[in-house]
Amino acid sequence: MRIIQYALMLAICWFAAYVARAADVQAPSHAVAGNDVSLPTSGSGNATLFVFGPGTAIKKEVRLGDHVTLPLKRAGRYSAIVNGEQVQFDVAAAAPSDIAFLARPSRVPADRKDVIAGTVFLFDNNHNLVTSPTPVKFDLMVEGGQPQSRHVQSKDGVAYIKLDSGRKAGPAQFVATVGAKSVKRVVEETASDPCNLRIHATPNKDGLTVETDPVKDCAGNPVPDGTIVTITATSPKGRSTVDARIKKGIAKADLPPLQNATVSVAAGVVMGNEIHVGGGM
Amino acid sequence: MKRLGPYVLIALVIVACSWWIVVAQAASDLPKVDLNVNAAGPRPVEDTTEQALQRDYARAWSSMEIALSQNRADVLDADFVGVALDELKDRVNQQQQSGLHTRYVDHGHKLQAVFYSPEGSAVQLRDTVQLEVQYLDGDKVLHSEQRTENYTVVMTAGENRWKVRVLQAAAAQPE
Repeated sequence: MRIIQYALMLAICWFAAYVARAADVQAPSHAVAGNDVSLPTSGSGNATLFVFGPGTAIKKEVRLGDHVTLPLKRAGRYSAIVNGEQVQFDVAAAAPSDIAFLARPSRVPADRKDVIAGTVFLFDNNHNLVTSPTPVKFDLMVEGGQPQSRHVQSKDGVAYIKLDSGRKAGPAQFVATVGAKSVKRVVEETASDPCNLRIHATPNKDGLTVETDPVKDCAGNPVPDGTIVTITATSPKGRSTVDARIKKGIAKADLPPLQNATVSVAAGVVMGNEIHVGGGM
Repeated sequence: MKRLGPYVLIALVIVACSWWIVVAQAASDLPKVDLNVNAAGPRPVEDTTEQALQRDYARAWSSMEIALSQNRADVLDADFVGVALDELKDRVNQQQQSGLHTRYVDHGHKLQAVFYSPEGSAVQLRDTVQLEVQYLDGDKVLHSEQRTENYTVVMTAGENRWKVRVLQAAAAQPE
């Protein structure tokens, strides 16, 4: 009977010692990157604490029973080891304070659907990805145009949006805002394809000058200088084509004298009007 | 010179075979990565990008495992960039200063692409990895365990490969 009592007592002591040893270091209840993290320890005497984690490998003498304070800047999972016993704990990213904003493309035609894309990656002040859902505001505005504004909730540290380009050409301010932090990108909105392309002809001493009206897109934005306009003259003698660049909003070409000819105009895939010169139809 | 010809040929064959064995060995040393791109958007992941991501992520883990077990920061530059590179270099430096090491036995990754940016320069992934981790102080094993870890990963396109920009351990994500 007494032997059983001794054995039981021994088992209880062994278990108590095991539990005490296992509890040498405990995980902090809540840890945020950039703040001091406090690891409670238990027991007595000195021991070596090892901490492994993102950007971190610490070997430190500690007094058991004290709280050990560590400045941990990186978010992620850590392992703390004392006397061969390990606890794991997570350090969360702090509030977002840094935005990586990708805006594409840098130039885009005006008045097109879903052509401007913005992607935001959210980081805290120690460059940890902030994975908790966070509201992100996207604003797109061209001076004198209709502003667009959208709210998106980030997911796993990323927020993404697609926007239409505005009707008005010009440098668009594309802004992503998280809390009080804003980042701006500029997207150049250019005139779209020409709209209502029209030509008229006037005789000159060597033949004919064919000239467009001011070339604009359907929203009334002037098509940029340098855009090529093709003027084609078709007569019973054959066909001749001139590629003229828009200069100060107008494209112009000098043609030889023509008899019974049709002159047409095009820019890219857009066709303009036709005129008949030199008599006949 | 004529007599030496066959010997030179044999030497060349031996060198070529050795090189092939070394390359094949290196390739087979990479951890197993199963990549699923079905949930990625808004841009669909191209086949070639999928293969490149799978290969480059495996390489990155291989480099990280070498860096942390041998305390060699130099092997990280080819596969990591930005925050992830800084973080790993800090860890290697701190391990070096304290005589510590971390050894991984990598049992494979289930990698899922969740976001691929419209211009194709950045991809976000979730990784669930099965690992055996050993922490060492000199040659003494401090602790060893099998564990499943979840990572949030951001990879960005580099000059000739995808590089890991963010590698952050995360709580398990619901399926």
